[in-house]
Amino acid sequence: MADEQDLIQRLLKGDQAAYRALVQQYQGAMRAVAIAIVGSASADEVVQDSWLAVVRNLPGFAGRSSLKTWLLTITANTAKSRLRKQRREVSLEDVTGPHGSIDDARFADDGHWGRAPTLWHTDSPEALLSEQALRDCLEHTLATLSEVQRSVLLLRERQALELPDICNLLDISHSNVRVLLHRARLSVFATLEHFEETGEC
Amino acid sequence: MLSCKGLVALSSDLLDGELTWKQRIAVRTHLAMCVHCRRFIRQLRVSQHVIRHLPDEQAPELEALLKAMQAQQQQGSDADSGDSAK
Repeated sequence: MADEQDLIQRLLKGDQAAYRALVQQYQGAMRAVAIAIVGSASADEVVQDSWLAVVRNLPGFAGRSSLKTWLLTITANTAKSRLRKQRREVSLEDVTGPHGSIDDARFADDGHWGRAPTLWHTDSPEALLSEQALRDCLEHTLATLSEVQRSVLLLRERQALELPDICNLLDISHSNVRVLLHRARLSVFATLEHFEETGEC
Repeated sequence: MLSCKGLVALSSDLLDGELTWKQRIAVRTHLAMCVHCRRFIRQLRVSQHVIRHLPDEQAPELEALLKAMQAQQQQGSDADSGDSAK
């Protein structure tokens, strides 16, 4: 929190290095929020408008929420006001990644594993990600998820947002967020498992 | 008794601490007995960390954005000094 206060003071003084650091740190999270609400096509514009709103409103930022929550709320509001009239329905359609999911086909009739999960060669995320081919493969899987599904996954896993915060930002019910998140995780799991088994995407 | 299929259905809620206490007991009991599901949950956590560590895509137009923000801030502080001069 002390660091955050320090950062805010530097931003208010117009410190360009502080702005650069701020954008680099939060751009991804803001993009995920924007994509979930307005879709990829308009997301970059929404993020840009949000950053300008951040600069305008920073002197009034009272620190009642964390800086991150404040930034993401501005982004969500900017995105929502853009589509005020053309509210998109959140698609709960089951979009699975290119390597499927952990679905019914994996289980016997009695609910036991039919094809049990294989043991991966390592449990270290760094070791797994050291392979460029796997990084590309995961990017591909993320790209095939629905926009909302991908955003929910990134906000939860990468930005460590709590589920209620995701619900509020994106106006999605708690149970729908859980469903979206679960399916996205299983798609990612299936990709990693496939890559571990075959060595290719 | 919770089946393996049932455990997988609850796996995300387990990761997020969203299970009811009844579900939590059922999941723990199942995991104590089932090596396949223990592996599944462990590797599901690994894939969670993998997404966390996946490099973030950077905005391609970062410089232009920073310039626009600087201009916006300049405008704001000009307006402030204009107000205070009144």
